[in-house]
Amino acid sequence: MDRKKHVTFKILVALAGTDLLETFAQFCFKKSALSLEFLKINSFGAGFEFIGMLIRSPFLWLGLSSVFVIFVLWCAILSKIDLSVAVPVASISYITIPLVSVIFLGEKISLMQWSGISFILFGIILVSLSTKTSQET
Amino acid sequence: MVRGFFFILSLIFLTDLIDTVGQLILKRSINSLDFHIDSFSKAFKLVVQLLRIPRVWFGFLLSGVSLVIWLFVLTKAELGFAFSLDSMRYILIAIASAIFLKEKIVPIRWLGIFCVILGIVLVAAGQH
Repeated sequence: MDRKKHVTFKILVALAGTDLLETFAQFCFKKSALSLEFLKINSFGAGFEFIGMLIRSPFLWLGLSSVFVIFVLWCAILSKIDLSVAVPVASISYITIPLVSVIFLGEKISLMQWSGISFILFGIILVSLSTKTSQET
Repeated sequence: MVRGFFFILSLIFLTDLIDTVGQLILKRSINSLDFHIDSFSKAFKLVVQLLRIPRVWFGFLLSGVSLVIWLFVLTKAELGFAFSLDSMRYILIAIASAIFLKEKIVPIRWLGIFCVILGIVLVAAGQH
């Protein structure tokens, strides 16, 4: 069977999707924990109460469903490309998260970080291109 | 101080090693199923098949252990420091993929991997 292992645009979108969902899941977990901040966990019973309220938090379930979707996407990606390509290219989150923070949270990015982002981008391009050269040989 | 450094370094190495083993298990299981995915429902079917393989569950267990160690690291070390060292995972993944999955890692891929690592160290170290 002819198996192409190139990093296609679709795969890049899927990888960016897993990273964005990952950020979303972390946000949800943080939210679900924060909503219970008023609870003081000073006994075993209170610990149970915390878990009991946690599983009633919609944010927890939203976060957990994102984790499941991430896993499905990641498996689909791994069925298409090499592991040694998928993992470095997934570092695209080191680019998307700072950009999201700048645009939506008004955070500032230092010059050093901008140069880091450029290196990551360059690295991702090289790793993606390497799937083409290794196919030809 | 120095002892603390090596302690944190070895813990980060441990989480990355455990994660690498987990990813190897997952990738090998996926390769053994030989699925051709063109839709989300196909991908879902692949996952259902995967969940029938016991070693995939072992992989989940490994992820849990690795997460606990990582959270412990975050309570002890600075974020920028922890994330910089954590980028050694890319080297471990590359070596493991070459040995256990017989993936061919051409020089340009190594170069790309090192650029990603350098970039992550810069992003992590450049935090205010």
